[in-house]
Formats: sequence, structure tokens, C-alpha cells
Amino acid sequence: MISADLLKEARLRAGITQAELGRRVQRSQSQIARWERGDVKPSLETLRELIRACGLELGFELANYDDSYVPDIVDNLRVTPAERLERSVAWVNALRPWQAAFEKARHV
Amino acid sequence: MSDPPFDPKPMLRVLQEHEVAFIVVGVVAAVAQGSPIPTRDLDVTPSPAADNYGRVASALRDLDAKLRLPDGSGLAFPFEARYLAGNTAWTLITRFGVLDLVYQPAGTRGYDDLRRQAFEVDLGTGKPVLVASLLDVIRMKEASNRLKDRAQLPALRQTLEVIREQERRS
Repeated sequence: MISADLLKEARLRAGITQAELGRRVQRSQSQIARWERGDVKPSLETLRELIRACGLELGFELANYDDSYVPDIVDNLRVTPAERLERSVAWVNALRPWQAAFEKARHV
Repeated sequence: MSDPPFDPKPMLRVLQEHEVAFIVVGVVAAVAQGSPIPTRDLDVTPSPAADNYGRVASALRDLDAKLRLPDGSGLAFPFEARYLAGNTAWTLITRFGVLDLVYQPAGTRGYDDLRRQAFEVDLGTGKPVLVASLLDVIRMKEASNRLKDRAQLPALRQTLEVIREQERRS
């Protein structure tokens, strides 16, 4: 689904319809829709072409693999959106005394 | 100067009580969808419909909103519909923490654009609010191209990937 989400994000950012994107790359609207739904995965080269047609560039970078956020995300997805927000707010507010102390130390 | 403790629920509740048409965007929207990145401010995109400016203004008065200055202090401002309509972004400090009104977030065409993929969810106020889709939050962060936003992108993209994986399995 990575290519599907990237393609949709690029098209929405360009503010164009699937039909318009299809016209720009000489593909049908239904083909664009299949890629955006993830029914079919475009090749990397095709994805780059599609994103360029939205006026954007697909950047490439080889970084070390890091899935350290995944356990927290999976844990968050087990609770309701209201509970997720509650947890996040509690975390931010718990850090306030440390942030205040840091700020104070910075200005000494 | 330090902001008051961040408490987005009462802010959302006041906006709802004043019948403001708005969409929660930014990190709070991402948190609602599972993102592990915390935030100290609530970002919302109000509808630019003419009658909505007045509702926003009365909600801001109720929240004791002030303009937030770079040092974190607040500057009193007479919030009225005619002034709100003159600017597309407002950084405010309220009784419940920082509130940003962003009428046209980067990479979007504002409320109507975000409305298409937004969904309703109860964030603890007892009444559903509209929340921007995670894909749209990512779109905004990518387009804003600020270092702070770029730093959040790996966690947001990873959240979207985990959600897609769970959807695929179910």
C-alpha cells in the first residue's frame, strides 16, 4: 500500500483528479484508481513517472531500517481514539517540569 | 514564558458548543489514528463559510484566546469575524493551551479539500468531531517542508503502514 498512499498523496497535493492525472500520463482513470486502491502495484519507475506528473519528485535515500515506533503504534491502535489522545496529553504534561527546568538552566 | 498545561478536550468542547465547523488536523489528528508522536498544541482547520467566522470568534472569546507571541506570552486581541477573515493562520494561547487555526494548511485547499477524507470520531468530548485522515496529515507535513514537520514524517508513515497492514489482515 506504500505506492498507493504515495500516489494518492501526490495527486491530492497537486489538486488534480484521477482523470486529469491519467490524461497527463496517458493512462485511463480506472488504471489510476486501481493503483490508488492498491489493487495493482506500479513499478518504481512508473510510480516516479506518476509522481512527476503531479509536479513532485520521488526522493530516494537508503537509511538504516528502524521500526522502533511500531510497538507504540500497535499499542495505540488497541485503544480508542479518545484514549490515545488522553495518553498523549498525559505524556506531554508529565514532561513539563523537566522542560521548565531545562529552560531555566539554559538561561542561567 | 510557559504555556498552561495542554488540555485539548475542553478546547474541542467549546468549539462544538459554539457550533464551529472545523476539522482537527496536525499531530492531534495523527495521535487519534495511532501515531506515537506527542504534541503540545491543537491545530484545527475551520470552514471559511461566512457564518462560521462569527462562531469561531465567539468560541475564541469563550476560551480567553490571545495571540501567542514567539516568547510564549499572550497578547490580547479583539476576536471578531471581520478580523478572522483577514488572515489564514492564527497562533493562539488559550486557558487550555495552544490552539492554532489554520484555514489553508500547506499542500491542501483547506476545509472542503480535507472534508472529503475526514472522518468523525469521539475524542472524549462525548460528541464526534471531524478528524483529517492520516494521509492528509502526511500531505500537510510533507508540503510544509519545515524541519519540525519532516522529523515527524517517519513516525506518521510508519503508523499508516501499520494501519494498512492491519486492514489487509482483517
